[in-house]
Order: sequence, then structure tokens, then C-alpha cells
Amino acid sequence: MTGMKFSQTCDRDRRVGGYGLHVAAAIVALAAASGAAQAQECQVKLGAMGPMSGGAAAWGLALRQGVEFVAAQANADGGVQVGDRKCRVSVMSYDSKYSAEGAASAANSMASDNIKLIIGPVGSPEATGAKPVAQRNGQITFNSSYAKDAIGPETPLAFHQLAGPAQWAPKIVAAAKQKFGIKSVVVVAPNDQGGTDVASVNAKAYEADGIRTKQEYYQRGTTNFAPLVTRIMNENPDAVDTASSPPADGATMVKQLLEAGYGGVFGRLGGPGTLEIIKAAGGVKELKNFYWLELVPTEDEKIVALQKDFKTVMKADAPNNTLLYTAAAAARMVLKAVTAAGTADDAPAVAKALHNLEPVDPYLGKGTWKGKAAFGIQQELVFPVGLGLIVDGKSLGVTAVDLADSK
Amino acid sequence: MDGLVTTAIIGLSLGVEYALLSLGFTLIFGILGVINFAHGGFYMIGGYAAYAAVHFAGMPFPAAVATAMLVTALLGYVCELLLIDRYVSDHLTPMMITLGLYLIISTALIVVFGPEPADFSFPIRGSLRSGGIYITYANLIVLLVCATVIAAVYLLMYRTDFGLALRAMADNREVATALGMRPAQYFPLAFGLATGLAGLTGALVTPTLTLSPFLGDSILGMSFLIVILGGLGSLGGAVIASFIVGIVEAYSRVYLGGSKGALALFVVVLIILVVRPNGLMGRIGRPA
Repeated sequence: MTGMKFSQTCDRDRRVGGYGLHVAAAIVALAAASGAAQAQECQVKLGAMGPMSGGAAAWGLALRQGVEFVAAQANADGGVQVGDRKCRVSVMSYDSKYSAEGAASAANSMASDNIKLIIGPVGSPEATGAKPVAQRNGQITFNSSYAKDAIGPETPLAFHQLAGPAQWAPKIVAAAKQKFGIKSVVVVAPNDQGGTDVASVNAKAYEADGIRTKQEYYQRGTTNFAPLVTRIMNENPDAVDTASSPPADGATMVKQLLEAGYGGVFGRLGGPGTLEIIKAAGGVKELKNFYWLELVPTEDEKIVALQKDFKTVMKADAPNNTLLYTAAAAARMVLKAVTAAGTADDAPAVAKALHNLEPVDPYLGKGTWKGKAAFGIQQELVFPVGLGLIVDGKSLGVTAVDLADSK
Repeated sequence: MDGLVTTAIIGLSLGVEYALLSLGFTLIFGILGVINFAHGGFYMIGGYAAYAAVHFAGMPFPAAVATAMLVTALLGYVCELLLIDRYVSDHLTPMMITLGLYLIISTALIVVFGPEPADFSFPIRGSLRSGGIYITYANLIVLLVCATVIAAVYLLMYRTDFGLALRAMADNREVATALGMRPAQYFPLAFGLATGLAGLTGALVTPTLTLSPFLGDSILGMSFLIVILGGLGSLGGAVIASFIVGIVEAYSRVYLGGSKGALALFVVVLIILVVRPNGLMGRIGRPA
């Protein structure tokens, strides 16, 4: 009997325990469902704008992947705090086709989708097209253009996601001069805003360092650089800087210069494109002497950590293009500013919060806000960049260049 | 002096490449009356087909080039047969079809091979030098192959029954058809021949320069300029115009620079077209 009672008690206890568990599970499920519903109701929309097709697609696609990576990380952590709610981050990308009209149209499309926070655009024509439209629409943009007017006081919602040539050119040129003893250089770039804005700043930095400088421009779309190569060979410069030429153009130029017998130093102080140049030359040994800018110090252990985290979160390899890192840092800063401002819909409030935020990124380290000297507005997000060197056919790797003391 | 000779060699190399490229473009217009906006696309397919043959199938470069030419010729043949043939008499529709075809080709190449330039180099490096004058071995080979193929196309068009039939069709389609020549048989062959030439040029030239899925626009633009200058539909005109463009481009870009040189080229073309509005060897109007 006692045994029976004991057994009944145990059964009842088990049932009570079972009910308790069910109730607890139900509460947890309800809470989770309510949280999920709340996160679904509350959404932070990030726009990724850049060239997703055409010759500059590699840049736009890397930018988009950077933003998507940050969004995925934020969502894995339960979302972004906006006021008293945790909000899910979604990313919508638009192809601005490396053109002013493409970027203006993309900004308007994003406005119709109520996207107020845009990472991008990438190129100078895009920045020119997007800035006034985004300002009118009340949208923050974070462009990576090297245009002389990439940002400015007339468009206070436009931010710059990386250091411009005015920041890094003097330092990289000084390092290259010291390493290779350069006395003369030819800076080559396309003859449009995307080319001339960078090449002219690079040229100024070379001249300021006492290097005899010549600028050579070509029409975008040129596929055979043999005439230009002959012109450069006639100059016989110590160095040729391919500046912001598209990666394919820079690679073809280097290949044709080597075939023509050029034995000097190559430089690339502009957009990413180093791998293409090394491949086109036939390898590090054939390239011999090369100095280049990396948007980030690519061999830094934190950058390598980002590549691993990217693979874990996105289930894919990180793209080679370094715009991935600057776009990710900009997106992360924007999400922090959203939390600080308590809103994702009021772009001026988010912009104000951005000004008050110290630029710190888990992968890029400590940065600074700059831009007052070059653009008249302190909205340039500057982190250390990288200086890559190949000397006498041997790679010396990429070292970090701190820009905290630059203009 | 060395600079002048080297520039002349560059001009000749450019000219012979342009000639091979524009021959296909002008063939299609001359025979079918179709402006093929996908011409640059077939050039890219040629480059990527050769790249794939070398890198994925392990073929030697000459076999890869031949394969690329066959692949693009076959693709052209099939495209004409399935897409263009039924609309060939209507000039606007084939234009739209080829434009759409170009967009499909360039997007498909990005999807399959990615947006970055492919790692595709000519198998022979180095240059033939004499003092300050040089020509790369790659350019020399391209020049010789292109010149041989241009001669072969000339023989095909002017020394064979097939060429005679094509020229008859270009001259007066109705009369040629009444004489028993069948457009449905010859048009796909002509289109395939033209796209094969574009593919061959792509396979030969892209390893010396660069191979990316965005080359089509500039290739189409240059082909257009040359065939208009030579006279739409004229094979001889296209060849002569190619050499004029190549030489003018080389000298103007070497001695005036990239920007002013491009301007000089367009000014020269404009002047020639003002003097000869139908191009160097163009006819007044096109009967077919």
C-alpha cells in the first residue's frame, strides 16, 4: 500500500513536474515568439550601394558582402538595440553601375524602401550622383570614393568610409622613396574624375617629396596600352604608379611594360588591384620592385581573424577585395550610432550620434574622424592602412601605416 | 627613329587585330543586313573558351585557340538558326535580339567566371629586339596568325563557290534566291563564320592583354568605328580602315598622349567620313 502510495505520489510528482516543464517551455516559447515577433516588427534596414555589375563589380560585391557580414553577426547576437527593443538587421543591395545616374536612382529606390542608412556608393561618379539625392531624401551614405569632393559641408549626411589619397599618399610616397630611391615617376590613370582625382593628389605628394612627376591619362575602356607604354618608355621613369586605374587596366599596363623591357619600380596608390598586377606580371619574382597601398593592413592578425569569422558566419570565403573591411567597419559604426541615437529612421540623429562615437572596430582597431582639412567636414572614417612591398623579387609583406597624425 | 619604328609596329599589330575583328562584324552586316550587337560578346566567349580549354581541360594553347574558334562559330550558327533567321528581313528585331544576346553573354560570363580578370597569359613571353625597336613574341605570333586568317577569309570569299554565293546573297538576295541559293542554309553559316572570327580574335588577343567579362563594349565600339569608316558591308574597306585606325591610334597616342590621341583618332575618322560619307569603300544604300 505504502508502495502504491509512494508510486502514486511519484506519478503525481512526475505529472506535476511534467506540467511544470510544459508550462515553462510554453513560457519560454511564448517569450521567444514574442521576442522574434518584436524583432520582426522592429527592423534596421541597411542599404549596400555600389557597382554590382560592370568592370568595377568586384568593388561593389565586396562592399555588399562586408555589410551582409556585419548584419549577420548582429543578428546572431540577437539583433541591434534600438531604444528598448532588439531589432533585426536586414540588408538590401542596389547596383549603382559605377555611374552618377545609377547611384542617384539607387538612392531614390532605397528611399522608396524606407532605407535611411546606406553603406556606399563606391566610385567617384556614384558619389557625385548619390550625395545630393541622399541628402534630399534624408539618407546617410558612407562612400568609398577618392573624389576630391567625396564629402563636404553642403551634404552633412555624406560620410567617407576610408582614408582618401590626401591622408595616405604622402606617407606611402615617402616610404617608397626611401626604399627604392625614386627620383622620377609617371602616374597613370583614366582621364575621368575617378582617375584624375587620385592621380593629381598622388602627383602632388610625389612632387612635394622632390620626385620629378609626370601624369599620363588614358580613355577609360582602353584595352591595349602599347602606345601608352611606348610613351612611358620614352620618359624612362624610375617608377610607374598605376594609381586608381581599374585592376584589369593596371594589370595589362604592367604586363605590357615588362614586355617592353621596363626595369623600374611599379607602384599602385589607388584602389585594390594588387593581386591582378602580380598575376599579370607572372609572379612576385618577375615584378621585382613594387609598392602599393592596401586599404587595411591585410596581414594584421585581426584582419586574418575577420576572414575566419566571415567564413564561419557567411559559410563562404571572404572576397579578396579589401573594400570588404572598410564597408564592414562603416556598417558596424552605423549600427552603433543607431543604438546610441535610439532610432534607425532619423538619419540626422544617427549622423549626430556618429560624430560622438569614437571610431573603434574589433578588426581594424582604433581609428579617427578626419576630413576637415581635405573636405571641410570631419566625416572621414580613418583606420590604419597597409603598405605592401616587393623588393628585388621578394615579398616583404604588408605593414600597417598609422594615419592618426595625417591631415 | 627607334620610337617611330616601334610605333609603326604597334600600329600594324593593332591594325591586324582590328581587321580580324571587324571582318566578322562587316560580314554579318554585308550578307544578312544585321548589325550584330553581340559581336563583342562572341569575342569574350572566344577568350573564355580558350581560357577554359587551357586551365580546365589542360589543352595546349594552339588547340585551345582552335577550340575557342569552333565553339564560337557553332554558337553563332545556332543563334542565327534559332533566334535571328526568322526575323532577318526586319532590321530592327535582329538588332534588339543581338543586343539582348550580348547582355545574356556578359552576365553569364560574370556568373560562371566571376567579375575579376581571368588569370590567362600568352604561353610565350619575351620580345624580339633590335636596338630600341622591339616586338613581343606574343604580338608577332598574333600578327602572323591574324594576317594568315585574313588571307584565308579573302580566299574563301573570292575564290570559292561558297564565297561567291555569300557575295551574291549580299548583293541581291532576291536574285540569288531565285537562282537556287537558300538563305536558310547560307545565313547561319555566314553568321557562324563571323562569330568564329570574333572568337578567334578573342582567344588570341585576350591572353596578351586582359580577359574580363567587360571587354565587349569597347570591342563593339571599335568594330563599329572601323566598319563605318571602311564602308558598312565592305570586306576590303574594313581591312583598310583597320590599318588606318591602328596606325593613327598608335602614333597619336604615343606622341599626343592617351586623351588627345583618342581625340585625334575621332577627328581623323570624322574628316574621312565628311569626305566620303559612305566610308572608304561603302556603297550608297544597301539593296538587301
